[in-house]
Amino acid sequence: MLEEVNIALSQISCKIGDKKHNLNKMKEQIKQAKKNGANLIIFPELALTGYTLKDLVYESAEPIPGPSTNLLTEVAKKENIHIVFGMVEQSTKASAVLYNTAVLLSPRGFVGKYQKMYLPTHSVFEEKRYFRQGSGSPIFETDIGKLGLIICYDVFFPETVRLLRLKGAQLILCVSASPAVRRKFFEVLTVARAIENTVFLAYVNLVGIEDGLQFWGGSRLISPSGSIISQAKYDDEDLVTGKIDYTDLKRTETFVPTLRDLRPELFDSLKEQAETL
Amino acid sequence: MITLELKDSILKLDLPSVEAKIKRFIKDYVGKCGAKGVVLGVSGGVDSCTTAALAALSLGGDNVLGLMLPEEETFNATDIQHARSVAKKFAFNLETIDISPTLRACVNSLPVYDKNDKLSKGNLKARIRMIYLYYYANRLQRIVCGSSDKSETMMGYFTKWGDAAADITPLMDLYKTQVRQLALHIGLPPEIATKPSTPALWPGHLAEEELGVKYETLDLVLYGLEHFMATEEIAHQLNVSTRLVEEIKRRWQIMEHKRRLPLTTKLGYRTIGTDFRLPYTAY
Repeated sequence: MLEEVNIALSQISCKIGDKKHNLNKMKEQIKQAKKNGANLIIFPELALTGYTLKDLVYESAEPIPGPSTNLLTEVAKKENIHIVFGMVEQSTKASAVLYNTAVLLSPRGFVGKYQKMYLPTHSVFEEKRYFRQGSGSPIFETDIGKLGLIICYDVFFPETVRLLRLKGAQLILCVSASPAVRRKFFEVLTVARAIENTVFLAYVNLVGIEDGLQFWGGSRLISPSGSIISQAKYDDEDLVTGKIDYTDLKRTETFVPTLRDLRPELFDSLKEQAETL
Repeated sequence: MITLELKDSILKLDLPSVEAKIKRFIKDYVGKCGAKGVVLGVSGGVDSCTTAALAALSLGGDNVLGLMLPEEETFNATDIQHARSVAKKFAFNLETIDISPTLRACVNSLPVYDKNDKLSKGNLKARIRMIYLYYYANRLQRIVCGSSDKSETMMGYFTKWGDAAADITPLMDLYKTQVRQLALHIGLPPEIATKPSTPALWPGHLAEEELGVKYETLDLVLYGLEHFMATEEIAHQLNVSTRLVEEIKRRWQIMEHKRRLPLTTKLGYRTIGTDFRLPYTAY
């Protein structure tokens, strides 16, 4: 396993419902990221289709593995790079059961997927109208570290990243489609999740305007101590690369030993209180 | 219920950010439509002058055509002069067409026309202006950019299918007093940014007189309603009568029909206006 990993944050805008267009853009970004020395490239939430699909979600969905993941798997092999991106996943058992899913591919092939657990359905968001919530928090042991995936609104729930960290994740990949009015929340929460779990966190947000929603970009790679290793532009497409070194985890865990100081007995109480909210 | 402190500062904007977002929005939508620019009705008031100026800053003045569409009853030389000064400063094209002959032709062809019904005649003026704007937009392969603000849209203070008819309305999420802030920020002269608002549907028609409340107060009431505050709490904080706040709330709610597509009854699988849901710009 590599100790040092170069991570490319590919902050793209998408054409709604046009997978061919978006895939071509992703392939170009992958080539450029490889030239920049990246071992991993991350795209935003639902990057394959754009976020504001509404009823187009049904015709945009694919099973996993499926045509788009197969195509990008070949790209991952050819370019010798890991790829994470968001797409609408269609259940292989029921065609109208859809998930908001992040996919992880490696030079060895398809690695795994994460189905978004927290589906925002308030304000401008209507994800529960279309998606079934995911139920698992897998971590993936890869040549570039132990990776955990979350999607956008998941980051508001500290238990998501904590669980992944307790399972051994070293790097959290958060793919996102956050509109501008939410920027201050994400800028705080992404840093908080990294610090409280002493873990690297890569956040990649969408840009562009979809149905009047302006996605703010601002993708960032955050160290376990909360410092910003690399940061993409606000409100514009960007591709930035940053390097992480897993040996930093030990130094940070020693300085701020949040995992050593965990109090598991509180979790029972948390569960009890949450169930009677 | 949520309690906020209703004071003027709550309506203060991050003006550079708002300006950038609106300009980006206009440019993005015009580009996605494949339109060659925008056509706007420019009355010389703060909303239309601000919208036209932002459109020009976003698209370049050559891609913005303002139409001044006065008529003889409400002709106001100061408004015309204001519109011209803004067009000059922000370098967009401006044309003037007197709609009086069209209005007279309409009036003369209406068997039920009643000269004492000034509201129906006023709405007719707004709808005639809409016809001109869309004709120009069709001819020039442009879209119509509206200038409605949040205060008048929430209050339903506009003519249905008239002045609110547009393809985009960049200011519709800003209250009137916020539009005034933005107008000053982008360089509109104070005499335009702060002048009393008028729909100009009849002579001497002033918005605040007709609405029965100053925009400074109205905007805070609407802000409170937007944030789910109780009418009693809003009235208490603003030191106005609960009856006034309740009347504003009532008006906001009963005007929903002016802000939506026409209502139908559900008969099919997916129904326009309810569960037939598509993005504005796909593919």
